Amino acid sequence: MEQIRAEKLVLGYGSKEVVRNVNFTINKGEFLSIIGPSGVGKSTLLMGVNATTSILSGQLQVLGKDLNAIGHRELKVLRSRIGVIFQGFNLVSRLSVLDNIASGMLHRKPLFAALIKHYSKQQYEEIYEYMKVVGIEAEALSRCDRLSGGQKQRVAIARAIAQHPEIILADEPISSLDPVSARTVLDTLRNANEKYGMTIIANLHQIDYAREYCNRVIGMNAGRIVYDGSPADLCQATIDQIYCCSPKKQEEKRQYHYPFSPAAASAE
Amino acid sequence: MNLEQIKRNTNPFHPYNIMVISLAIVLVGWCWHSTEMGVTKLLDGWGNMLTYLSGNPEIKDSGFFPPDLASGRLLTYLKSMLETVQMALLALVISILIAFPLSFFASKNTLSIIIPGTRGMSMLLKNVIYTSVRFVANLSRSINEIIWALLFVSAVGLGPMPGILALGIHTSGVLIKLFSEGIEAIQQEPIDALSATGAGFVKVIRYAVFPQITPFFVSMTLYRLESDVRSATILGFTGAGGIGVYLFDKLKSYENREVTTILIIIVITVAIIDRISAAIRAKYT
Repeated sequence: MEQIRAEKLVLGYGSKEVVRNVNFTINKGEFLSIIGPSGVGKSTLLMGVNATTSILSGQLQVLGKDLNAIGHRELKVLRSRIGVIFQGFNLVSRLSVLDNIASGMLHRKPLFAALIKHYSKQQYEEIYEYMKVVGIEAEALSRCDRLSGGQKQRVAIARAIAQHPEIILADEPISSLDPVSARTVLDTLRNANEKYGMTIIANLHQIDYAREYCNRVIGMNAGRIVYDGSPADLCQATIDQIYCCSPKKQEEKRQYHYPFSPAAASAE
Repeated sequence: MNLEQIKRNTNPFHPYNIMVISLAIVLVGWCWHSTEMGVTKLLDGWGNMLTYLSGNPEIKDSGFFPPDLASGRLLTYLKSMLETVQMALLALVISILIAFPLSFFASKNTLSIIIPGTRGMSMLLKNVIYTSVRFVANLSRSINEIIWALLFVSAVGLGPMPGILALGIHTSGVLIKLFSEGIEAIQQEPIDALSATGAGFVKVIRYAVFPQITPFFVSMTLYRLESDVRSATILGFTGAGGIGVYLFDKLKSYENREVTTILIIIVITVAIIDRISAAIRAKYT
């Protein structure tokens, strides 16, 4: 089932184009990673899916809604169907793990119950299940500023799952984590993908992880998609194309002078 | 940016820094001069202050010491001190009820959750609300409690009630300013995360804004309780109830030993409130 379709999509800020003319479709249940050097528009593309970055031209359909013609109310409903995981976790540090996870289901809670932070029996059970999915139930009542980075990111995943989303967008979910925590976080995401059938789109920097966990990879360079396919077919030449020859890097090399690097001197 | 530019911009003796410091010195000097401040005047008049405190030897009981501790009057003062604290507490509750909801409209970040969008109409609406709430807060804050008390005494007559209203109005203005500055200083990321879940603005404020500001709210509110108690002791001067009525009365009739008694009661009360608030604050970190 098709969930996201982009046609000749251009995304950006103000008049600055960041993602240029991309086409793709994403189906339900995919675990997809977007790879590429910093500043090529990976996050912009990801955040375009929940309409945080604006469409400059082209078409973007998410869960059957045309983002060019979506009203404020509809957008709120659409966003409740898309979970987001951030690089910096974006948890409320003074709230407990329980409350942070519960904040993912706010759109389903009655206003008064949300105001006094009252949870029904069923909600407690549900939250506890997600705690077990991400393995954080031992810290249920700890404040989130007492947790380690990996634990925080797992709470953030549980919050996203609690939203009952159809799609989870993960913006560099493991880039501030050590390798062991990174693996736990990716395992948790895979678990959510397999157990609940949620589509997962993650920006990653580590190609090895992309190979291991994802069933599809999109490679981006300078705002364009240069690779879209299975991670198995990702050969060294393609990786070089994604990472090394970015026009931005070439431009940087021209601009900066490396007086202490013989390699740069010989290149000139 | 080359090294010379970096050096120039980080030089502690940069002409800009020197200019700011000199301007500050000139400003202080100007104020000192035009208000006729002087160290010598205080040194010369030091003795007169002691005479005032110890009293005129020719008039019996004109000094401030020893404090008058006659039990009947002491009880009256303690009762009216209690009334003063009650006034301050009620005023604080009124001002929190006014300031707490309004401060979310006086902060740019929460106002953007309440009224989303960056188009013309919503920007205009945001600016109008923001400016008018801030204006009302400034107005109620910049008019002293005493003036408010005079106004309310003329409306509802003598007694604690005009004092409570006056304090409540003034303190709401102060709290709106303090609260909204606290709100504007919080982290944006949790707000973005919760907005991305599609939750409405009340829920976002409850879960992402409120937890972040509770320690600040608690400490500001407790500080205002202390200030309100202090202000309430003066409000009696206008006839607006509390211990100030006696303080004003005794000052006017030169019953200075009783003034000392009242002042001691006030100091002890404020110290007790300070202790209690420190204990409460320690719970909210």
